[in-house]
Amino acid sequence: MARELFTVYGSASPTASGQSGDFALTSPLVRGSFAYIRVPKGMRLKVWAKRLSGTAGFTLLVQYTPDVTASSPTWAVLDAEHLASAGSLELEKRRPAAVFGLTGNEAVKLSYANTTGAGTIYAAAEVEVTDEE
Amino acid sequence: MEARFAREGDYLTVYISPTNSALVFWVKSVANRGYSAIDYGPLPISAGTALPTLDGGSATVPEDGVLPARAYTATGIQFPSPVPNVYTSSDMWYLSEDMRDRLFHVFQRVTPAWLRVDVQVPTGVTQARFQAGRATLGVDRAFGFSRGGIEVVHIPKLSYGYRYANETNLDVRTFVRFEYAEYVVEVPRNPRLVFEILTRRVPSLWVSLPVSVMDSAVERALDDVYGFRGFRVYREDEAQKAIKEYEETLKRVKLGGGG
Repeated sequence: MARELFTVYGSASPTASGQSGDFALTSPLVRGSFAYIRVPKGMRLKVWAKRLSGTAGFTLLVQYTPDVTASSPTWAVLDAEHLASAGSLELEKRRPAAVFGLTGNEAVKLSYANTTGAGTIYAAAEVEVTDEE
Repeated sequence: MEARFAREGDYLTVYISPTNSALVFWVKSVANRGYSAIDYGPLPISAGTALPTLDGGSATVPEDGVLPARAYTATGIQFPSPVPNVYTSSDMWYLSEDMRDRLFHVFQRVTPAWLRVDVQVPTGVTQARFQAGRATLGVDRAFGFSRGGIEVVHIPKLSYGYRYANETNLDVRTFVRFEYAEYVVEVPRNPRLVFEILTRRVPSLWVSLPVSVMDSAVERALDDVYGFRGFRVYREDEAQKAIKEYEETLKRVKLGGGG
């Protein structure tokens, strides 16, 4: 059985309230930054844990698309975590958010939304790509 | 994929599916008992190498050991030896013909584990096939590969080529760990014992040679290294015929005299 667990990390600096966007992610396993992770066909991508820190009002969104190869992929929210006050929040899931690679074109990304002001926000996620249930 | 090796005194059967035959060995000893792991490091792919992609384009390896997004190695690669004084520095698993009493049993694990893996035997000849060879498979096709690792027995005088594919959009840093056994082997000289092993009445660890088509280089290697291309596998009710044939085969065997 193939199973790979790795950490992805991103930060952003919204300059005003109400801004949203996608994190440019990095990982020790990956050279350079990336906007999303495409799920290999037949495998599952699981988001086991999330860490948020930064200014109050920051919402972390886990989004997925069924076809990242489309000219304008449609992204839907799979999971959201909200940082109500400035500080940090660490969330581990006994049951992870999961996306199945049905066609091999599915992808997952991390985004931010609903920021309440200028500041730097940080997000990290423990992601697993596996062919196990 | 749990590494499972033969131990000293075990029998080892290397099954060759295209010919329904098998090499039968008695494991005299395991030369690397107690130190079976090799943390090899990144895949030996060099920065600047152009690789094809699964989408029909090409990608350049940006840094040593990095497999670019959607890229695959079209021709199998070998692993240069991290230690000196090996037989061939460019291929650590290659053994010469005169090292016929040695057999490498290798479990290869690749990081990230989602990478597709297959093996060419010899290098350049893709072995994954479908419908009696009508279709060639492998890491660049929809199926015909494993993920994250592969189990292989290395026959001397053959250079194997490993191939990898990365379906994701990530330029991934790679790592390879080997777990291996360097068996010291000989061929049992008793034809009845060979028959008992091949009918599974005598316990033996069965491993398949990773071939589905017999390339002439494989046949030559088997001839030169062992003096025969394997014992044909017979049904239990064909004992007389099998044993008679094995007696003749054993006259040509170049290796050992145990069992």
